[in-house]
Amino acid sequence: MKIAVLVFWLSLASLLPAQVTGRQLEQAPGADWLHYNGSYDSRRYSALDQIKLSNAGSLVNQWVYHIPGAGNLESVPIVVGGVMYVTEPNAIYALDGRSGRLIWSYHHLLAKVKDREGPDRGAAVFGDKVYYTTTDDYLIALNASNGEELWQSKIAETSEGYSSPAAPLVVRGKVIVGVSPGDRGLNGYLDAYDANTGKRLWRFDPIPKAGEPGAESWAGDSWKYAGGDTWLTGSYDPELNLLYWGIGNPSPDFNGDVRAGDNLYTECVVALDLDTGKLKWYFQFTPHDTMDWDAVEIPVLVDAPFEGKMRKLMVTADRNGFYYVLDRETGKFLHGSRFARQLNWATGLTPEGRPIRVPGIEPSLTGTKVCPSSIGATNWMSPTYSPQTGLFYFVALEGCGLATKNTETFRPGGYQYRAGGDVLLKDSTWKVYVRALELTSGKQVWEQGRVGSMGLGGGLLSTAGGVIFSGELDGEFVALDAKTGRPVWHFNTGQPINAQPITYSVHGTQFVAIAAGSDVFGFTLFQPERINLP
Amino acid sequence: MRRFLVWSALALAACSARAQAAHPENPLGRGPDVVAAGHAIFNRTCTACHGMDGGEGERAPALVGDRRFFRLSENAIFDTIKNGIPGTAMPALGLPDDDIWRIVVFIRAMRASASDADVSGNIQEGAEVFSGKGGCLKCHMLQGHGGTIGPDLSNIGAQVTLQHLREALTQPRPIPAGYQPVKVVTQSGETVEGIAKNEDGFSLQVLDFHGKLHLYDKNELRQVTHGTASLMPHNYDKVLAPAEYQDLVAMLAHQVTVKLHTKAEGEGEAGR
Repeated sequence: MKIAVLVFWLSLASLLPAQVTGRQLEQAPGADWLHYNGSYDSRRYSALDQIKLSNAGSLVNQWVYHIPGAGNLESVPIVVGGVMYVTEPNAIYALDGRSGRLIWSYHHLLAKVKDREGPDRGAAVFGDKVYYTTTDDYLIALNASNGEELWQSKIAETSEGYSSPAAPLVVRGKVIVGVSPGDRGLNGYLDAYDANTGKRLWRFDPIPKAGEPGAESWAGDSWKYAGGDTWLTGSYDPELNLLYWGIGNPSPDFNGDVRAGDNLYTECVVALDLDTGKLKWYFQFTPHDTMDWDAVEIPVLVDAPFEGKMRKLMVTADRNGFYYVLDRETGKFLHGSRFARQLNWATGLTPEGRPIRVPGIEPSLTGTKVCPSSIGATNWMSPTYSPQTGLFYFVALEGCGLATKNTETFRPGGYQYRAGGDVLLKDSTWKVYVRALELTSGKQVWEQGRVGSMGLGGGLLSTAGGVIFSGELDGEFVALDAKTGRPVWHFNTGQPINAQPITYSVHGTQFVAIAAGSDVFGFTLFQPERINLP
Repeated sequence: MRRFLVWSALALAACSARAQAAHPENPLGRGPDVVAAGHAIFNRTCTACHGMDGGEGERAPALVGDRRFFRLSENAIFDTIKNGIPGTAMPALGLPDDDIWRIVVFIRAMRASASDADVSGNIQEGAEVFSGKGGCLKCHMLQGHGGTIGPDLSNIGAQVTLQHLREALTQPRPIPAGYQPVKVVTQSGETVEGIAKNEDGFSLQVLDFHGKLHLYDKNELRQVTHGTASLMPHNYDKVLAPAEYQDLVAMLAHQVTVKLHTKAEGEGEAGR
């Protein structure tokens, strides 16, 4: 009996989160899942291989954690030493990653009910702290062991219309957080906060002010209500000490008449010096966008040979329908190719990577068919890169929109400033796929349809077990053969999946987890249960 | 438990009393000028989410066609636009009240159902065309009688506009969800034809033309072929005499099954 008690306390002690060091945060995903996209390179590739092609068919649900009233969770769980941190807007839950049992929860109280708009995509960890952002724009640091609040920092003015849905990224003692949405004519920014004190260290403004470089790409004073959100989590290269962040659309979204020019740095990926937040380079995917094709899609960092030479690459599938390979040291465009079959706005890319536009394929007063639609040929669903196959995997949407523009003007106070929109043409060609592309050529190797899903749903995860995990909007959580796309396992969660899957390991058992609807699901390989209670 | 019920009833009564006290009223009327003004404001303000003319947008439901989202009374629509829907992307729009009323009147006009229209024709004759020459009863139910391969039409007059009703009879239209024609061949060689009530990558639920349900794991199927056109004939203006066609339209426009809302006014509307 005494031994049993001791074992109990020891097992409880082993559940308490260890200090997460900066070095740990730089590791590839293994037993822990420490970032929104698993690692700084955002590959979402885990070295865990207990679950593999040959046995994935015997995956079973181990536990479900239900969050009453959570709606459609978009949160990616973080796992440290077996403790899972999962968020919903304005709340965070610490769970036992083995059993799904609650350890503690923290609920942020809003001063105004009106401020509860927007999703929350997850937490970040460093040292003994957990970080997340709230719908009324606070960055909050909690003690990881008991959920006690340590500090909160205001990151934006909610009454102006800002929210902060993205999971923070902690890099070398800095918490990097972005804001949303520019669909209200608000200018975005990216902030770095001191991970210990919550003090703001720098701010990067993606919209240059008059007189600054890039301001010439905005007609008149259109830069004042210009957009440029940072609503998804970016990537980081420790060797180059550069942050890579995708920047959202220009405002107003659908009527570019008032903002002639390329509208820098909207629709760009920017490389920022971590220490100063200064711009090192940028690459613009869609100059002068009029289709709300935010370029916030995850920049995936891979070192691979390109034209015979080992290069530090950044690859991304953009909402505009093209796949890009850039040199992440310099931002140089190396390769671009169209991945969307339904794409009518450009005929291709110039040698510099600039789209060659088709005149007239843009929103009009009476409506113009533009492919892809404003949802984009892909969106915020996380892609994955597997070094095992050398393939880049992502979720693609084939579909067009009937796009219109109007003369909506900017109004302060958080009102929309989109000046148009598109009617989604959900005909028989409207389809969602998981696609695998060859890394440097962008050539499609396979695709697998998400039958029954009319929307993009959740993102992807790859593992050393040769499996891709994929969450569908229709509720199916699926394992695919990474080489062929053939499904090898599925589980109907019964709820829409709008989040990204993760994997982790506790006491030698590999788990796969994903949020679906208002629940978090944990899966392992089937093991006959032996109950031997103390 | 009983005490809980009593308290619930009291709380409900209090809510309903409060909701009734705060009823705003439309001061503008419902004339065509109000509809036109509302249309202009709608297409300037609401289209980004709800699509042109309330079709369907990137982030919000269609305001026409999907009854699930209908807030039917003028007051309920007014309240939604003025105060938003907490917990969803629908914001409080902050427009002047008069402009909100114009949008309300436009949305109501846009949704005016076939049963609101004055359709001439002989309803009795229309019912005979429906069960006889038209052959509609083979696929559609009316008040509990008829086939199951097409949608139940017992409330069709309240569900669609008159224009939609006419188009459904005379023009090819997209296949509604749950009615896509499908033909499957099972591993054992059996062929089943019907409509796909639901489908994902791994399972398929087929209702065959005899009204029998077949629940398949896709592993059990050798072949799945989807029909690309709706099973609904769309030549009734040609195969029926003009009077018969008009009688059929009139009969359908009158199909309204009234389900009285028993909850307190305002309850449930704010949430969804």
